Amino acid sequence: MNTSEAKERLFLYRGPIDDADPQFEEALAHARRDPELAEWMREQSRSYGTIRSKLREIEPPNDLAEKIVRKRPIPFSRGWTQIIRKQPIPFSGGWTQVLQVAAAIVILAGITAVWLNLSQRGRHALVQGQEIVVRGEVLDMTCYIARNLSGPQHAQCARDCIRKGLPVGIKGEDGKTYLLVGKKQAVNAELADYAAKTVTIRGRETMRDGFAQLQVEEIRKF
Amino acid sequence: MSVDPEFERLVKLYYRDLYRFGFSLTRSEADACDLTQQTFYIWANKGHQLKDLAKVKGWLFTALHREFLQMSRRQERFSDEPISEVAQNLPHVSADVVNRMDAQTMLEALGQIDEGYRAPLVLYYSEDLSYKEIADVLEIPLGTVQSRIARAKTHLFGLLTETNHPSRQSK
Repeated sequence: MNTSEAKERLFLYRGPIDDADPQFEEALAHARRDPELAEWMREQSRSYGTIRSKLREIEPPNDLAEKIVRKRPIPFSRGWTQIIRKQPIPFSGGWTQVLQVAAAIVILAGITAVWLNLSQRGRHALVQGQEIVVRGEVLDMTCYIARNLSGPQHAQCARDCIRKGLPVGIKGEDGKTYLLVGKKQAVNAELADYAAKTVTIRGRETMRDGFAQLQVEEIRKF
Repeated sequence: MSVDPEFERLVKLYYRDLYRFGFSLTRSEADACDLTQQTFYIWANKGHQLKDLAKVKGWLFTALHREFLQMSRRQERFSDEPISEVAQNLPHVSADVVNRMDAQTMLEALGQIDEGYRAPLVLYYSEDLSYKEIADVLEIPLGTVQSRIARAKTHLFGLLTETNHPSRQSK
């Protein structure tokens, strides 16, 4: 790829938001070696940022949200919250199969209870709390705690760290931060793409040695 | 009338972005408000069809764009040239030039760009959407999105440079 081709490709490059897009990879590498191209790219990024901020100055009328929510007769034929409820899976087998599955569940639950009891011995107590809903920024806890890094500027690093399995957390809008833990497996894979973005998580708040955890039940990624 | 708190939260999350998109397309406050309201109305009726909640933002933008196309009732055909043909002489407009303009001037320049090119350009600038997401929102192929953005950006830069030309400013 020569400079002209790299420029052509980078004409559409916006900055960190496009870093993960493979179509820019080669051109970005070229810009790292070519100071003149790098300067051209920086100027492009600046002009992108300025145009973006001008467009984002557009504000709706103050009462628009209120009008949408309250004044418009919206038929709630099915609330959107219903979407997240999973449909029951039809059971094609007969009652024998049902009983076999039920027995297996009971036996597994018993084994799990005994294992949990044994594994908790000698450990610090886990204080169970109530179910809560937290809306906030998805954090890579390692960088956040060690170096106070968060926000869009740190999104790429956070995404990589979370994807690699480093602890993931959420900083609620009230400023309280929770370590996110899954019920059975880590939630990293599910949240990596939402690093530095806002999500809503429903889960059970727990506390270990004064450190807040949220055992994730449901993630709403918008 | 009782209000679904989750619906209310969804409105508060996205009504600004949707309004901004609608306003950039129509340049009319009333039309942008109508489009935004209509989008949430459609959500209330059809939102349950969306299986992947991570795509709710894209879904809403698609709904608004469809409504806009219906509203304008203009089915134009656009020539979608490859980026290489578009960007042979890549134009440039400096951040300082843009800084001197207000949002209104920017919108006037956007208004001079054909509708089919304006929508991808607005999404490119004002929303944090990837090219794939923009293509999904507008329901057009990825390559088409990129060539339209490149063309529209070239056009916009030309208009902004013209607007900023000393001979025009002195008038």
